[in-house]
Amino acid sequence: MRQQILKQLDLVRASLPPLRGLLPLVLLLIVWQLIQSGPSPYFPAPSQWWTAARSLYARDHLVAAFGDTTWTFLQGLALAIIIGAALGILIGVSTFAARALAPLLEFMRAIPPPVTVPVASLLIGYNASMKLTVVVLAGLWPILLNAAAAVRQIDPLLLDVARAFRLTPMERLRRIVIPSVIPSLLTGIRVAIPLAIVITLLVEMLTSLPGIGALMIRSQRNFQSSEVYALLVLVGLFGFVVNDVFAIVEGVIMRRWPPRA
Amino acid sequence: MPERRGNRTRINWPGLATIALVLALWEIALRAGLAQYQNLPTPSAIARGLAEIAGSGQLYEDAAHTLWSVLVGWAAAVAAGVVLGLLLGASPTLRRYSLASIEVLRPMPGIAFVPVGLLLFGFSLQMELMVIILPALWPVLVNTMDAVTGVHARLFEVGQTFRLSRAETLRKIILPAALPGVLVGARLSMTLALVLAVVAEMVGNPSGLGYAVVREQQAMRPELVFAYVAVIGALGMILNAALTGAVAFVFPTISGRLREVA
Repeated sequence: MRQQILKQLDLVRASLPPLRGLLPLVLLLIVWQLIQSGPSPYFPAPSQWWTAARSLYARDHLVAAFGDTTWTFLQGLALAIIIGAALGILIGVSTFAARALAPLLEFMRAIPPPVTVPVASLLIGYNASMKLTVVVLAGLWPILLNAAAAVRQIDPLLLDVARAFRLTPMERLRRIVIPSVIPSLLTGIRVAIPLAIVITLLVEMLTSLPGIGALMIRSQRNFQSSEVYALLVLVGLFGFVVNDVFAIVEGVIMRRWPPRA
Repeated sequence: MPERRGNRTRINWPGLATIALVLALWEIALRAGLAQYQNLPTPSAIARGLAEIAGSGQLYEDAAHTLWSVLVGWAAAVAAGVVLGLLLGASPTLRRYSLASIEVLRPMPGIAFVPVGLLLFGFSLQMELMVIILPALWPVLVNTMDAVTGVHARLFEVGQTFRLSRAETLRKIILPAALPGVLVGARLSMTLALVLAVVAEMVGNPSGLGYAVVREQQAMRPELVFAYVAVIGALGMILNAALTGAVAFVFPTISGRLREVA
């Protein structure tokens, strides 16, 4: 298992573009630093971001805030995957259910996830379970719809084989349905991840529940521009890391479920 | 809602019936007191709320603002994304020296730009556009770039044989090859632009549909909150359908492939 992950890590590293591609970004930061080397209400120097990040770390439990945000995000994503996959498979199994529910589900998906935040605060109030609910709702639709579509696209031949072997429904689920759904499920999760991150940060910004979003909006309200930029970089890194970790997980899983030609 | 697949239009009766059933159960459960939710309005109350904001004209003002921001931001993101995507797709050197930067910037959650936008532009349309354009740029850029790099080398050789000038190569070979990528990217961007406009309005720029939802929530008018949510969902579906329809009308050969992707 460990070896597999290391191997995948190498593959991901090999597929990453060469590091010299970072040149424009580095140049931008250097020029920025040279033009504006001190504090500024609009464009503080990158060195100031570093100072601000260190003071946030010392003063404001930066690690705890990141922990809160990450924990909500991971919990929400996990629940969205479990609920989305289960409902998606159930809906996909029946053609009639899929057709009957399609317009409703399409409408639910068309609603931009951010607007669920005020609705959930009305119904649930400002608390941690509201935060979790909206994150789950944000990630649910892409996962559910992908799982349902994947079940409907299972080769009828496979189901005939299952019937010929007299597999019980449980066996059929385990040996045919779940393996066929995994690749689409991963696609759905890839779409769900950025949405779940955005919504986690949004809830924190709107409700000041503890987390990085709350920290960002507070820094902005206090006109602490260096802190705002420092947090922007940190959130960017967070997105980057989550993206890459998922790419590794996806690679490891897809090795066991190679796409059938 | 009629379901469109291919060229035939068929009304999805079971689908419509399901929606009607859900709404009826919702109404009955609340009226009969089977479900107790303090701030959950009945569908009929939501319909009255919708009529109220439509009657007062508030709805049109809010919707017009959001629609305008989405379209302007989306158009700017598509324009910039296509130009940058073509440049990066056409030049391997440029790609080598910037791809890693793009990979670092791309996963940045769009909402992270809200505080920076507020810092730079205050509570304004510029801030909203910044929050829309920066994240909505990537799908167009990456899809255009991939489409251009995917052009078969032999096509360029054909171009050389015909002694096409650079402008002609661009117009006759690169642009047609890039078109499907551009359209896929543009569609992804459109969805993203609406999400980001709503986010920017909720946290920053106090106008438009996103702000309206927050405003009515704070005013404790649940029926108006739900009415606005329904309007935003409908707007999303209309924008998507309009884009798909326009593509099917202008480029009938590509639209089939586009539907598979999105």
